[in-house]
Amino acid sequence: MSTMPIHRAEARLRGFHDEGHGFDVFGLHLPTLRRTLALGGRLCDRYFRTRSYGVENVPGEGPAILVANHGGALPIDAALVLLDVDRATGRIVRPIADRFIPALPLISTWFARSGAVVGTHANVAHLLSRGELIAIWPEGSAGIAKPVRERYQVRTWQVGHAELAIRHRAPIIPVAILGSEEAWPVLGRIERFHRFGAPFLPVPALPFPLPFRHQIHYGAPIALHDGLDPAAADDPCVVAHAATRVRLALATLLRDARDARAGRLA
Amino acid sequence: MNVLVTGATTPLGRAIVDRLLAAREVGHVLAVGAEHWGPGLPSDGARFHYEQVDLTRPRSVHDLLYGPARSCGIDTVLHGVLHRAVGDRGQRVHAINVDATRLLVHACAHQPGIRRFVLRSGSEVYALRADEPNLLDEDHPLAFDAGAPQWLRDRVEADLVTCAQIGTSGLGTSGLAIAVLRCAEILAPGTGSQLWDYLGSRICLRPLGFDPMINVLSVDDALDAVALALGSDARGVFNIPGFDTLPLSSLIALAGRRDVPVPGPLLAPLYRLRTRTVGFEFRYDLNAPRFHIGGILDGARARGALGYQPRHPIASRLAA
Repeated sequence: MSTMPIHRAEARLRGFHDEGHGFDVFGLHLPTLRRTLALGGRLCDRYFRTRSYGVENVPGEGPAILVANHGGALPIDAALVLLDVDRATGRIVRPIADRFIPALPLISTWFARSGAVVGTHANVAHLLSRGELIAIWPEGSAGIAKPVRERYQVRTWQVGHAELAIRHRAPIIPVAILGSEEAWPVLGRIERFHRFGAPFLPVPALPFPLPFRHQIHYGAPIALHDGLDPAAADDPCVVAHAATRVRLALATLLRDARDARAGRLA
Repeated sequence: MNVLVTGATTPLGRAIVDRLLAAREVGHVLAVGAEHWGPGLPSDGARFHYEQVDLTRPRSVHDLLYGPARSCGIDTVLHGVLHRAVGDRGQRVHAINVDATRLLVHACAHQPGIRRFVLRSGSEVYALRADEPNLLDEDHPLAFDAGAPQWLRDRVEADLVTCAQIGTSGLGTSGLAIAVLRCAEILAPGTGSQLWDYLGSRICLRPLGFDPMINVLSVDDALDAVALALGSDARGVFNIPGFDTLPLSSLIALAGRRDVPVPGPLLAPLYRLRTRTVGFEFRYDLNAPRFHIGGILDGARARGALGYQPRHPIASRLAA
């Protein structure tokens, strides 16, 4: 596996579709994204000391889907992937956010300006049709705030990413993120908390994340569409099989990465 | 092409009449309004004729289509009659908004000389929810809400009445080709634009923590879309987005107004108070979803079927 530490190159953001006033149709605003990346870059380098492996697997252009695992109390892992890919390839990653995010004051606007898009089928299809790079966490909100005993286990697995990958002929790059479960462990969830439409409220063990080293491992691209027509995306069996393929690839990547990390720690 | 235009006495109706009379392919324009005469309308002549008609009465609609419309050789109808004042309500307003639309589209389907019917609807008919796509295509859920103001309920019903007739015509019971244009909000005076009234104030209150993307349509682009729809045989519903897509805060800044974020729950009572004291048309409860969530019309179908592409930015005019 190739190793590539995150470098400090100036962000060269590509793939921005300006609607005429400096914003794209989903509200992405480059200056806000740059400020967010600059701020996150310091955290990424100095606090989480993030290292990335195999980022060259991310295509330099064309539609593609990063499929990653979630962990920790809040989705810090998502921000690290966004930053890492931007620095290595200059591409803007469009993280797909949960559907309750637009109802959150301040966060909804900040997420939108930083490139996040609500995870509806139509939104994601639009991004892929214009050749953008998106990042999906198929575990959804259930992936965040996992109990410690379930860390790095891939939980509920939605299949929409597989359907879209087949339909839009977009390669899937599995991304294993290590460190988030240890940096901000979770005691439990308040399941009855649904303010602003949130599915639950995570109860972290600490008020802030620990400076635990993070690793991001990019697997080899999976061309789910190989040998298939775009119309095959309508077949639930084909889609379910493709999604399972991605899930297994991510689980294997996670296991290998954890084994390698354990060897290094030893 | 000979065109019957309803709502011809409104500012937009007059602009449509002017555009049609300037077009070579248009022979005769028959303008219809509830008033005796509309200021700014051309005088009756070889190519233009005005009729005062109460479209809420079946007999009047029948007499219009089989009288003046037939004698003018009308083959195309543009319907754009919707009550603009948001505070008006009652049976009469409902009759103008919905009953007139139903009567006219049904009557057009049975008048053999008429082959084209275009309804000018609006993007307000779409429901805006956090869990729905930001890009609104023509299949997006509609705003069915029994608690919504009549202004909105009537618009949704008028739109649906026409959509239902599209289905009936598609079964071969009529040769009428119907198109519904769901236009983005036309940011101009006299069009019933809520945003125009909102931006008329020197201080624009906006929900704290939310800055949704807004799309606005210029009168010129609206006229282009109408002209393309009238000249086409394409059937169905078509979104008509405007050229400008920008956050609400940027729109306020472009209009030279002061943007003051206020906690969301305070906005409805503050604007109600303003309506009572100053007489504003803007109603926050009507606009709350788009001031939080936003939503941009996807114009792909209109681009493909009608060749519509927005070309006229509104920003420079707004700043002026």
